[in-house]
Amino acid sequence: MIDTLKKTSLEFFHKQGYPTKKLENWKFTSSKNFKNFSKKEISDITIANISTDETTLLFINGKLCLNTFKNFRYRDNIEINELANIEEKAILTFSDTFMNDAMFNLGMSEFDGGHYIKFKKQTNVEDPIKIINLFQNDTSDRRIVSFNIFHFEEGSQISIVEKDINEGAPSFNLKMNKFICDNASNLNFAKYVEDKSDCHLLSYSYYKVGKDVCLNMDSMNKDAIFSKEFIEIDLNNTGSDAKVNILNLVKDEQHLDNNILINHNAEHCTSFQHVRNILDNKSSTVFNGKVIVAEGAQQTDSNQSNKNLLLSLNSTAFSNPQLEIYADDVSCGHGSTTGALDENSIFYLRARGIDQSSAQKMLIKAFAKEVIDEFSLSSVQDISEIALDRWIDG
Amino acid sequence: MIKIENLKASIDDKDILKGINLDIPAGEVHVIMGRNGSGKSTLANVIAGNETYEVDGGNITMEDTDITEMSIENRALEGIFLCFQYPVAIPGVSMAYFLRSALNAHRKYQGKEEMDALEFLNKAKAILSELGLDDSFLKRSINDGFSGGEKKKSEILQLLTIDPKLAVLDETDSGLDVDALRTVAKGVNKFKNENNSVLIITHYQRLLDYIKPDVVHLMIDGQIVKTGDMSLVEKVEKDGYSWLEK
Repeated sequence: MIDTLKKTSLEFFHKQGYPTKKLENWKFTSSKNFKNFSKKEISDITIANISTDETTLLFINGKLCLNTFKNFRYRDNIEINELANIEEKAILTFSDTFMNDAMFNLGMSEFDGGHYIKFKKQTNVEDPIKIINLFQNDTSDRRIVSFNIFHFEEGSQISIVEKDINEGAPSFNLKMNKFICDNASNLNFAKYVEDKSDCHLLSYSYYKVGKDVCLNMDSMNKDAIFSKEFIEIDLNNTGSDAKVNILNLVKDEQHLDNNILINHNAEHCTSFQHVRNILDNKSSTVFNGKVIVAEGAQQTDSNQSNKNLLLSLNSTAFSNPQLEIYADDVSCGHGSTTGALDENSIFYLRARGIDQSSAQKMLIKAFAKEVIDEFSLSSVQDISEIALDRWIDG
Repeated sequence: MIKIENLKASIDDKDILKGINLDIPAGEVHVIMGRNGSGKSTLANVIAGNETYEVDGGNITMEDTDITEMSIENRALEGIFLCFQYPVAIPGVSMAYFLRSALNAHRKYQGKEEMDALEFLNKAKAILSELGLDDSFLKRSINDGFSGGEKKKSEILQLLTIDPKLAVLDETDSGLDVDALRTVAKGVNKFKNENNSVLIITHYQRLLDYIKPDVVHLMIDGQIVKTGDMSLVEKVEKDGYSWLEK
């Protein structure tokens, strides 16, 4: 199955070529940045000095490190299979949107050694699982592709904190993850990126959501030089709730692109997108958020918000919130704001004796804190606040 | 306490203040009344250092220190406190964090040790109790989701916590019901003593039923045209301002 998938994906990519700016999803992020990288064989990998504990799953260049898995606290609650052994097409395939994206197909044609990781029914994880994605690279211009599937069976309650670490020469990391959330499962998935390398990131995350699922997807990005992220959530059954909260801190000439699509395919589901970008210097961000409410997905409750704080006249935020509604009994809202720090607020704080620099920092923190407070895991809130302080202090 | 001499100010090349002279000694409550657009709020903002306005002439002296060119925060630290007519909402910054930051900025400026969180909370809670506000007020974001009355009480809470030398109340009484008005007045009366001063800017007599002024000024077209006692307020209530123009 995998071989067929790889073959058709490669054909698709060759037919389509690299995405151009004519495509809506690629309008403000040029794929030119990815062209300089190519797939190269990786020589022997030395496991870096990464501290792992019994709650850590370590992936090196996209492959699960089975040595560390031996000590994993929840290993009895997990079944692991190599993707090469998966024959069910439904498990391996993603959404139509991804399957029709050239870069995704490039990734599908090149991945090597991914895993299907299934959390058994009713698995309840007390402490968040830490996923460390270690990208090690010993040569320049390398494209590293990873593909993993996480399956959360009925009634499982899982919290995951994912962190990428880049070591060595800058690479282009093309990540593809699929999350299958069965009925009544609860997934808190938090991603934390604090990356000072010159790596480029393109990631595709697809969430297939069942009935009465509670999904929280939180993300904090700081220092990524060039990152484009696709998130797609299919709410396929009734009573599910999906929240996406993202905070991006960008400066210098960094570029960060969030492409989020939530498909309401069933009744009585709720979704919430909250993306905040803080931009300094010549940085740029893209918010391309879309909610599609299918015909018959009545009683949908959906909200989408993108707010951009520009700290420099040279920074640029592209914002494109979209709603497509084909049902007639729904509550959907969306909004977008972009602007500088409010002069009246600065005056108010200074009029109480707080100096200008402190007043500005207070307002930047306040802007970020509104989304940090929405993060589902307190540990991620804490590290995000510390990272925010570091970012503000330069 | 504060002395203003021949103060002229403009915004977008439009002259607003056209030579204000005002002297408020320590221990006194002064009132400025005037029509809309006469320059009352501009005066309050210029005293506080709002950089939206251009000072075109004159000077402001606070206890022998010329503050005309001083930054907004340094004026505040020198003892000027503006009670805003329209306090801004700042979501994400708690009242407690903001108030403690402001208080400690003043203490640092005065060469005092910063107040620790516990001591601050005790002080703030005592003031909240006097204003009839719940302790949870401190956990809320600055003026975010506050009613009109709560916003003005928030200003008085800040006034009593920071304890400045000069309180400038810019139409603090506007939009308040009788209970909130009494609370605000109670706060101001608690604040005032022989070592500080109060400048009240208002359209109405009703706040002055609770806070007795020592001097009343009437302002027309950017200038103080009449100075007197409480009887001026009564005349304005009865006859308006047109008699001043004859």
